[in-house]
Amino acid sequence: MEFQRVFERVFAFEIAVASVVFALVLLGVVLAIFLSRKRSGDTRRRDSNKPLEIGYAVLLAGVAGVIVYVTASAHQEVQHGTTGYSVAEQRGATKVDVTAFQWCWEFQYPDTGRSVTGTCRDKNSGLPTLVVPTGQPVELRLRSSDVVHALWIPDKAIKMDVYPHHTNTLTVEFDEEGRWLGRCAEFCGPYHPSMHFWVRAVSPQEFQQFQQQGTVA
Amino acid sequence: MTAELAVAEERELPRDRSLRSWLGTTDHKRIALLITAVALLLLFVAGALALTMRLQLAQPDQEFVTNDGYNQLFTIHGSAMIYLVVTPLALAYGLYLVPLQVGAPNVAAPRTTMLGFWLYLFGSVAIFSGFLTSGGAAKEGWTAYTPLSTSEYSPGMGTDLWVLGTFVTTVGMILVGGTVLWTALLKRARGMTMLRMPVFSWSVVATNLMVIAAFPSLLFALGLIAVGRMTPGLFDSNLYNIGYQHLFWFFAHPVVYVMFFPFVGAVAEVLATFAQRRFFGYTITVLSLLAFAGLSMSVWGHHMFTTGLVSDDYYSLTSILLIVPAGIEYFAFLGTIIGARLRFQLPMLFALAFILQFLVGGITGIMVASPVLDYQMHDSYFVVGHFHYTLVAGSLFGLFAGLYFWFPKATGVMLGRGLGHAHFWLMMVGTNVTFLPMFWLGIAGMPRRVASYLPTDGFSTFNLIASIGAGILGLGMLAFAVNVVRSLTKRKERAAPDNPWRAHTLEWATSSPPPPLNFDDKHPIPPIRSYAPLLDLRREREP
Ligand SMILES: [Cu+2]
Ligand SMILES: [Cu+2]
Repeated sequence: MEFQRVFERVFAFEIAVASVVFALVLLGVVLAIFLSRKRSGDTRRRDSNKPLEIGYAVLLAGVAGVIVYVTASAHQEVQHGTTGYSVAEQRGATKVDVTAFQWCWEFQYPDTGRSVTGTCRDKNSGLPTLVVPTGQPVELRLRSSDVVHALWIPDKAIKMDVYPHHTNTLTVEFDEEGRWLGRCAEFCGPYHPSMHFWVRAVSPQEFQQFQQQGTVA
Repeated sequence: MTAELAVAEERELPRDRSLRSWLGTTDHKRIALLITAVALLLLFVAGALALTMRLQLAQPDQEFVTNDGYNQLFTIHGSAMIYLVVTPLALAYGLYLVPLQVGAPNVAAPRTTMLGFWLYLFGSVAIFSGFLTSGGAAKEGWTAYTPLSTSEYSPGMGTDLWVLGTFVTTVGMILVGGTVLWTALLKRARGMTMLRMPVFSWSVVATNLMVIAAFPSLLFALGLIAVGRMTPGLFDSNLYNIGYQHLFWFFAHPVVYVMFFPFVGAVAEVLATFAQRRFFGYTITVLSLLAFAGLSMSVWGHHMFTTGLVSDDYYSLTSILLIVPAGIEYFAFLGTIIGARLRFQLPMLFALAFILQFLVGGITGIMVASPVLDYQMHDSYFVVGHFHYTLVAGSLFGLFAGLYFWFPKATGVMLGRGLGHAHFWLMMVGTNVTFLPMFWLGIAGMPRRVASYLPTDGFSTFNLIASIGAGILGLGMLAFAVNVVRSLTKRKERAAPDNPWRAHTLEWATSSPPPPLNFDDKHPIPPIRSYAPLLDLRREREP
């Protein structure tokens, strides 16, 4: 899953930068405390160092530039190509109309007219399952029938808001079979905490069977 | 001028301590103390709401409060902390100190400022009175996204009162911020040029520029909700839903800095004072504060990456650029304390903790400013951890650094040291134990604003740790409350001198507490030759 790989790579990069920055500032504070014991009373010193300050500001701009470059180019990967946010109309994509409502989900497959929904109450019972084929693009067309919700699959690092009166589209591709929990991430009222669903990725053959019979083995 | 005559007369009389004189006061110090007192009280109330939430989340699948009750708790906790506690405290610090620091006898237009206090008080009462209505208080979160906050999905007086209260209190804050800005720009004493204003005063100038530029946007957003509550059909066009979010975040990103800049200024003053030297890198710090404030107006869309309706790369770019001014401030902090003889008194402890803890908030802020990371972290506990690191581990520590520092000036009483240390250590441990686990919870997939979770989610351990931390944090706050009450009852034993910390700026040249017009014959304004006039004076006397 591309989203998750990109997330992990950029996260590791930013954690590394963050650790260095934190270590440097910590070092500065520890140094200040440690040196302090050796000084007496008034420690007069120059109160500004223009060349150093300007050089440092340029360095900071450089660091910012590197972070912008890394994250912006990673962002390209999840926005353009065969899968990604706002990617639509890929050849061979399975289309799913996802409707969020207070407080559950409905998944409609326009190709076969099949539809799955549930109740989303109490301890993950009665959750609807979004069945998708592996190795093929899946186009999710998100729409709400009431307030703003958000579709989130934490294990796959995918999230997109779901609006009423507007359709958000994203194309995903699952490269392994499995089942993961999906959640509503945007607060939407009293039963927001239990507004979950399952995503189940199955082999293309099993998906065919699901399309014809409405069930998976 | 009649106002000045009236004040001149007041000087002859003994200070009027009656309640009436407080409630009708035109003294900026008293107005600021009124705001501070109300806001500190509400800090404890909002904290109690948070403790209730942490109790509910300590174990999975608890039903200690209902979903509906929990939604009221987090809505009012967030709204109170942002609209009624930290913003008013940040502006009140400026209101108390800026006229003193720039050598002005009072704030410009004190009656307008006082009106600001009354609006703030009225707004606070309105928001909290939602709890007394049959449907309970507002429950849409402090962000009140439409169309959830319309009457169609959230009927009931609680939300009406929330819209009214937030609107009124925001108008009040604009009045307070505007008059203080006016004071700093146009009411400075002779010799007090702009570039001799202390770093704290500059931080307040930057803050109030954001207040007047960004806060009106919230008024428009609230107006949109108000219209939507009367005609919910308004939001049948998504333009209004996304428009609401733009108006809201155009206000709500800068407000984060409003809640933070004055405490950066406070930390700067504390560091310089307890390092016993001039603040390092003054000019570049002032420039970076102004650049920071300017940039803050261009980053709001980073709260909307997952909407699919904004240019994520643009807002990511402007947000990540904030590294530059933030990094410069840290450079100045470290440049001030490295190689100096430090005194580790209470304000200094809070200031040093601020430096490291706020950094965690800043670093994680850069992470969520990267769209590919935000797609995972948005609306999760990672974000909850992030903004509590900025607002509690950062702003509140800076606020307490300033509070221990200026309390003697404002009240004439030193705060107790023993309880102060208990406060600091409990709060430091409690803050980190509470908010650090939230980063892991977010990455593990816990959404924010959920009243409970299941044992199978795998969130139990970190939530329990966070709840224990909240208890420790609460104990620390209790130590603070006891300390304030005990110190104020021991006025005589703990009387504060004019300048107990050997600080550098003008407010320490006058008495503790200062006379009604700030400076008088016994406490004249000393000559001002730099942003640290008292340090200059001391160095002249003891070369
Ligand atoms: Cu929802
Ligand atoms: Cu922001």
